[in-house]
Amino acid sequence: MSAIQKSKEKETAEPVEQQPEDDVQDSSGSDDSGSEAELPLTATLPEASTAPTASKKKKKKRSKAAKALTALRGHKDGIPQELVNVVLEKVREQGGQAAAEANEQTIRLALEQMKIKDVIQGKAGIGGKGKKDMGDHKFWGAQPVPQPGEGPPLGDGYIEASKPSEEVRQDPYPLPKDFEWSVLDLNDAAQLRELYELLCANYVEDDNASFRFQYSAEFLSWALKPPGYHQEWHVGVRVASNKKLVAFISAIPITIRVRDHLFHASEVNFLCVHKKLRSKRLAPVLIKEITRQCHLKGIFQALYTAGLLLPTPVSTTQYYHRCINIPKLVAVKFFPIPASMTVARLARLYKVPERPHLLDSGLREMEERDVSQVGELFARYMRRFGMVPVFSLDEVRHHFLSGMGEGPRDKDSWKSPREGQVVFTYVVENPQTHKITDFFSFYSLPSTIMNSDKHSLLNAAYLYYYATDAAFEEGADEKDLLKKRLEELLGDAVIIASASGFDVLNGLTLMDNVLFMKDLKFGTGDGVLNYYLYNWRTAPLAGMSPIDDVPAGRGVGVVML
Amino acid sequence: MSQNLSPEFREAAQYLTNATSLSGVSNATKLELYGLYKFLTVSPSPNTSRPSLFDFTGRAKWDAWDNACKTYGESNNRAEARYLEIARSLGWTPSEASEQLLNRQQDGPETLWDEELGLELERETQGGGGMGNAVSVMTGSETENRSTLGGFAISGDVAGLKNFIRTHTSTNLNELNEDGYTPLHLACDRGNLAIVHLLLSEGADKEVKDADDMTPVELARFAGHQEIVQLLES
Repeated sequence: MSAIQKSKEKETAEPVEQQPEDDVQDSSGSDDSGSEAELPLTATLPEASTAPTASKKKKKKRSKAAKALTALRGHKDGIPQELVNVVLEKVREQGGQAAAEANEQTIRLALEQMKIKDVIQGKAGIGGKGKKDMGDHKFWGAQPVPQPGEGPPLGDGYIEASKPSEEVRQDPYPLPKDFEWSVLDLNDAAQLRELYELLCANYVEDDNASFRFQYSAEFLSWALKPPGYHQEWHVGVRVASNKKLVAFISAIPITIRVRDHLFHASEVNFLCVHKKLRSKRLAPVLIKEITRQCHLKGIFQALYTAGLLLPTPVSTTQYYHRCINIPKLVAVKFFPIPASMTVARLARLYKVPERPHLLDSGLREMEERDVSQVGELFARYMRRFGMVPVFSLDEVRHHFLSGMGEGPRDKDSWKSPREGQVVFTYVVENPQTHKITDFFSFYSLPSTIMNSDKHSLLNAAYLYYYATDAAFEEGADEKDLLKKRLEELLGDAVIIASASGFDVLNGLTLMDNVLFMKDLKFGTGDGVLNYYLYNWRTAPLAGMSPIDDVPAGRGVGVVML
Repeated sequence: MSQNLSPEFREAAQYLTNATSLSGVSNATKLELYGLYKFLTVSPSPNTSRPSLFDFTGRAKWDAWDNACKTYGESNNRAEARYLEIARSLGWTPSEASEQLLNRQQDGPETLWDEELGLELERETQGGGGMGNAVSVMTGSETENRSTLGGFAISGDVAGLKNFIRTHTSTNLNELNEDGYTPLHLACDRGNLAIVHLLLSEGADKEVKDADDMTPVELARFAGHQEIVQLLES
């Protein structure tokens, strides 16, 4: 063993272990982002939770760790060999399929995709470039969320006990001067429009600032007003003097099952702060205020997702893309064309059939009369995953039927979207028994294209929920019955998305998506989506990689909008 | 507020933003400048609560600002005079500052009045952000070999291609590469108009078909490069 290897080995776990202590010590605030940049090492590595956590008293190690990191920054992707070695070792220890596929290159790729590179290089705070506000670890360190390096939980449960209502803070948290709170009424078209415009100009972008989500007003109305929603959970911040809406956060009520525990929670989404106000530290106040609003309704657990890395994901899922409109996707640089291809050749490879295959065996749009059967099928199918929403029939109706737009519903509906349609839900009805054997859905979420003269909108569809009774048959997995059925079913989803004019259909490594995405020509995306639970501890769930005997994807059964 | 600031102060502040002499001064002086600047440009006293004990820098800045308020009270003139005095001691002269102003138009004061929001804002530029879903695009493929005819055609490197043709005089521009394309096919597909011009002037064949039986103009049309289509059809 060479001297270099030895010295690496000696230092191995240190940068990982000691970060949490540094965090507590280092609170020098906005002028020092160095320590912040290193924190996520622990947060990204579920493997690190097996590292000894007893080394609590390691203080003053920061400079040493920083030096070690600097010394290791040799590779061109900026990911220290050290880190790669640690991960590789952990993956191999765990065995299984992941171990077979793991080599230095795949680990580097995975780490790069998890955005760890920028963090290590100090270009980014905890959640990526310019996202310090949201990822402030001083803030997260004080929240009831699993902290980096605390190790796997002994059992599932809350972190902080629920408060009796009289102990919940009654006054809104103070905002910086010039700003005021404003609960939005999304039934008012003008306020819905304000929210649409705020998000349209300031919400989530990709790493290269080429695409930014453009949720439609119809979508926001659908997403934020499910059965039992609370208007108080649509929290806005306005400029006091001119009432301009400059920040927003929302929550909707959900019933969620995490492993064996069923509980009420809120699903927090659409946290957005105006681009020009990112230094005002509004995000932490928004999070505290939505938490308070949830507490006021007796809700003490929450589920949320982010591309950003925060303490501490319960699962990390990866985006995959089924490219459809090849010339456009290449032109807007969504799809980097390989040197061995032309656009014409690529388009032929990705050509989508014109007509859904299952149309002749009972495929049709979901209707009101299907609600109870779809609800039942969905509930049964979802039992197979670790973390899932539990829908009432009203919720089934809302999520799968209410966003289907204005216009006729007939046998040719699949050929084009209706006015204002945000969700597309199809069922397969057995022609003999009239039983609903399968259903699938996807939703429409376009992105603004920021760097093209020719195209201004990327029409993206996202896989939503689906279920099939093939999952309940003997040998569903062993005989690939489920995989084959899902390929037929979601293959038709690709065809319908294509017929409806979508440029791309996106999916995450959750539910059973891993079974069919590859064969349906979904390609790897550069984006990840981290799942978080607020005030709930549970061991990591299988997302982009398998965990223990749970295959990739099957830990997570919640699709966020 | 900033609207009432004198041109001299603006110039001095501008000068100090880029002054190399500032690196040699003590923290005490820097903090005094900071306090005066905030006093003059933002508000007489700090508009936030005092940062915690652990936030050394933040707390020191806050104290400096607070100190400016205690020293100068309501007198902007005295505070400004003191600011200019320090600036002069660090090499600032009005004329020099004017010159620098011309050279460094892109740098401005620390805060700006923002019309859209109706607020005094710190200068910052940040991308989109928020928490919820994440935007993803397809990951890239492996990097291609650029020092081939096809490589130059793909990357749009006109100079590189010219040079390659000069130094490889026996090159056949109409030969299909291992993927089944001529350089003209690839340039037409990627939309590299200048490369198409060069290849045509070097005598490349417009009619040759690629491995998929497509001509250069068909590839350009399919990929949506109208200028190239027009050039090839003219």
